[in-house]
Amino acid sequence: MNHHADTFVTPEPLPINLVSPLRWLALGWADLRRNPVPGLLHGLALSVFGWLLLWAARDQFWLLAGAFSGFLIVAPVLATGLYHVSRSCGVGRCVGMREVLQLWASGDGRMVRFGLLLALAGTGWVITSAALVTLLSPEPIHRPIDFLRHVVLARELGLFEYWVLLGAVLAAPVFASSVVAMPMLVDTSVPVNMAVAASWSAVAENPLPMALWALLIAVLVGLGMITGLLGLIVLLPLLAHASWHAYCDLTRRKTTDHPVPAPPAHA
Amino acid sequence: MPDAMQATLFGYTEGQIAQFGLTFGVGAFILYMLFIVLNLALESKAGKFGTFILFLVLSFGMLGFMAKNIIQWVLDLG
Repeated sequence: MNHHADTFVTPEPLPINLVSPLRWLALGWADLRRNPVPGLLHGLALSVFGWLLLWAARDQFWLLAGAFSGFLIVAPVLATGLYHVSRSCGVGRCVGMREVLQLWASGDGRMVRFGLLLALAGTGWVITSAALVTLLSPEPIHRPIDFLRHVVLARELGLFEYWVLLGAVLAAPVFASSVVAMPMLVDTSVPVNMAVAASWSAVAENPLPMALWALLIAVLVGLGMITGLLGLIVLLPLLAHASWHAYCDLTRRKTTDHPVPAPPAHA
Repeated sequence: MPDAMQATLFGYTEGQIAQFGLTFGVGAFILYMLFIVLNLALESKAGKFGTFILFLVLSFGMLGFMAKNIIQWVLDLG
């Protein structure tokens, strides 16, 4: 077991620069390869849920957009068990799904509260973007094909670009509030407002690397979506593990300062 | 035959060249804007969080612009 720990200890935090997001992805990938089962099961469960949403709301664009935006915004909360997997990987311990599910069963109210706040932000995005598109679109948008035809495929510059820019303006505070806060809520017992404040100050200290990290997340999720959500089975756990390493670097968290809780005794 | 030669340049039609110029020209312009914003952010008192927002919004805009062109290109092929 000790040999295990020596081999797999997470590297100590490094100063943040523009290469850091790539380093987090590499460390996340290493975690996923080291202990793939919990990550892939999470990815599969979230993708299946995404397929169900697509199927249920296939003909109603705004319902689909609302359900999917909410899903993508809340997905990081649903993947919090993977932060625990990465944290355990850092000290050479491979945890299974049983321990991840026990983390969920612990019923941490902070995580539920944070998830509800994110869902509220997602609702705000859907209402705002519906208002923008309804106001500026030359044709009414009812079905997904209408959005593709009249917004995405519009030859002239305009509505689609405004829509993306509006999305970025609204995504910025959500990203800044959650990038450090979510792993911190798993790792420590701080209240939600302190975790969010720590998240904002970490972003303010490293504006360019964090903008690059947000862009990389958007690109990878986009790639996962154009593969018919299949790519998300691997990409969502990769991003969750990488987010753990982002948190460690951004808060200068040292593995040795925070002992990982002992595995619960088997019944 | 002469009509066909007049309509193309190095095998590309005027429309294709215009589309190419628009796509890469606007892309290069957005990169230049990123450079200007970086300079502004460094020299002004916008604050670091403002720099983050500016870069996030601009780079998402660039990403959206590229995604739109790629989607249009793929659907035109299909």
